[in-house]
Amino acid sequence: MNPKLQRVIFSLALIVWGAVLVYFYASGRITKYLAPDFRPLSLAGGLGLLVVGAFNLLTATQQASCGHDHGPDDAHDHESLDVHPFAAFLILIVPLALGVAWTKDAFSLGSLTRKGLLDSPADASSLFLGAAMPKLTKEIIEKQHPKNAEGYHAFGLMELFFSSGDPEMRGLVEGMLVETEGRVVQDPDAASPKQRRLYRLFITCCAADSRAIPIIVRFQGEVPQVEENTWMKLSGTIRYPDEGAGFIPVLEVDHAAEAPPPPEESFMRGNY
Amino acid sequence: MPKQPTPPFLSPVSPDSQQDFAFAFLSILFEGAPFILLGTLISGFIDIYLPAGTMDRLLPKRKFPAILVAGLLGIILPVCECAVVPVIRRLVKKGLPVSCALTYMLAAPIVNPITALSTWKAFKGPEIPLGPELSHSASLVMTLSRLGLGFIVAVGIGLIVARIPLAKILRQRLAETLQQEDEKISPSHEPHSCCGHDHGCQGGHSPHPAQGHADDNRLVAAFRSAMRDFVDVGVYFTIGVAITALFNTGIAPGAEWLDGLAKNHLVAPAALMALAFVLSLCSTSDAFIAATLDKFTYGAKLAFLTFGPMLDVKLLFLYQTVLRKRFILWLALGLFLAIGAAAIAWQAAIFSLATP
Repeated sequence: MNPKLQRVIFSLALIVWGAVLVYFYASGRITKYLAPDFRPLSLAGGLGLLVVGAFNLLTATQQASCGHDHGPDDAHDHESLDVHPFAAFLILIVPLALGVAWTKDAFSLGSLTRKGLLDSPADASSLFLGAAMPKLTKEIIEKQHPKNAEGYHAFGLMELFFSSGDPEMRGLVEGMLVETEGRVVQDPDAASPKQRRLYRLFITCCAADSRAIPIIVRFQGEVPQVEENTWMKLSGTIRYPDEGAGFIPVLEVDHAAEAPPPPEESFMRGNY
Repeated sequence: MPKQPTPPFLSPVSPDSQQDFAFAFLSILFEGAPFILLGTLISGFIDIYLPAGTMDRLLPKRKFPAILVAGLLGIILPVCECAVVPVIRRLVKKGLPVSCALTYMLAAPIVNPITALSTWKAFKGPEIPLGPELSHSASLVMTLSRLGLGFIVAVGIGLIVARIPLAKILRQRLAETLQQEDEKISPSHEPHSCCGHDHGCQGGHSPHPAQGHADDNRLVAAFRSAMRDFVDVGVYFTIGVAITALFNTGIAPGAEWLDGLAKNHLVAPAALMALAFVLSLCSTSDAFIAATLDKFTYGAKLAFLTFGPMLDVKLLFLYQTVLRKRFILWLALGLFLAIGAAAIAWQAAIFSLATP
């Protein structure tokens, strides 16, 4: 391929990559993909790609020397590639374009199942997630979970999920009136038609490493008729029954209401 | 006539699969792209601005200390595995001992600040228990283990290579060129020792600062080299991310089978080394892939992160520009066994420390 044409298409590829990174950052959609400390890096990387791509595009026709001999048996030219330049361009652009076109900034329920949505909450003591949680004490509970106007303590879903694996914590929270929020989905393993799952995602670095964090919810009254994955705020009594697979967190729901998604829809490392 | 069922590989991709693939693909790509840019900018400027004699001057004259230092040179001369092969090819021609060159070639993609930073970032968050009351962040444990194992394996290979005749290591043409160069060197110079200066300039790579407009042009050349490196690495990274996204979301056939292997402590490191070989990822960004393989143990991920930068499909082709095929085969076998055994032992040590 003509070296000038190769420089132009490679420059365009870098500009497209940079533009996608900057767009996702500027639009706020990056919050669905990356943990907070990776977001500024993605902006810096996007801007850097735009600068390098634009510089190479503007100087594509300029003669340039690397300033050193290559010798008779050393034919390196600083620009040749292992693969055909046009194939490289397509590999860089096509999957990215498909990704941008197809993404809905979320996983489907099928993929969430693979990421633990339907696992028993009694299996919560995994090395990976358990180690990521802070140690909880009664003082922290009282300090960090004040009652709301209706007398329910506001709890993060992740705390309720992991509290089932801590005997001391279970004893402290059992029977407490709590309020929490998450996405509601059907529970295919439910014995009762009034049982659902409430979940949120936990992201360590990026969405690909995310895990679903579910608890069981059992409605005392009518089950709200909402679509799968609807964001809801639920309040009720938290219990930890052992139903054969270990202690599981079950919220006996008194009140349920649809709610707007929180600013950070997923739990992030260091931010739960 | 009854309608034949469509084979799975011909069936259209469901909207859910498209959505899952896109979400996982973009998240890994957004995470790794800045690190690839950083790495390729540095390697691009090294490619153009660094005089070839620099490395010679940094190495001690004695063989063993020279190999040890060669294993650490990536700290100040950071290059990824794609860029390092052409560099060592030039350096070997200029008289750098082959043992030092191979040590640098294997170690530099791992023992360098960009790889350390990306590994640190990728594993940030979880804690690895190392005793009843002791735990350290996965960032610290994985970064130190990766750099340490990469250094030890590279130095070990360098020490073995130092005892093997050049004719059994280098391609015939390259070995003959070196032999002819040796015959031209005066008796006061030891052949292939690190004498601290360039040996003649035939086929050399010395700068020509007196040439007009050299500095302006070299800036353009440096950015072009960086862009070439980014595209080169980006191609393999994109393919690797796409395959990882397919496995991560369970779309790829065999995802369940791979998950099953994750539970076997002996087979899992071998499976991830094979995956690293096929994916041919850049060491500046492979940690982000490894971190998403959440069903595998840290030991298997360590094998993935150490083996990949030393041997993969693209390196197999690049190595053939310098090394004999038979030597590459033995090198591959040695790396596979050494890194696999080290990763299994490392994981066993972590388990024994974590279990009271």
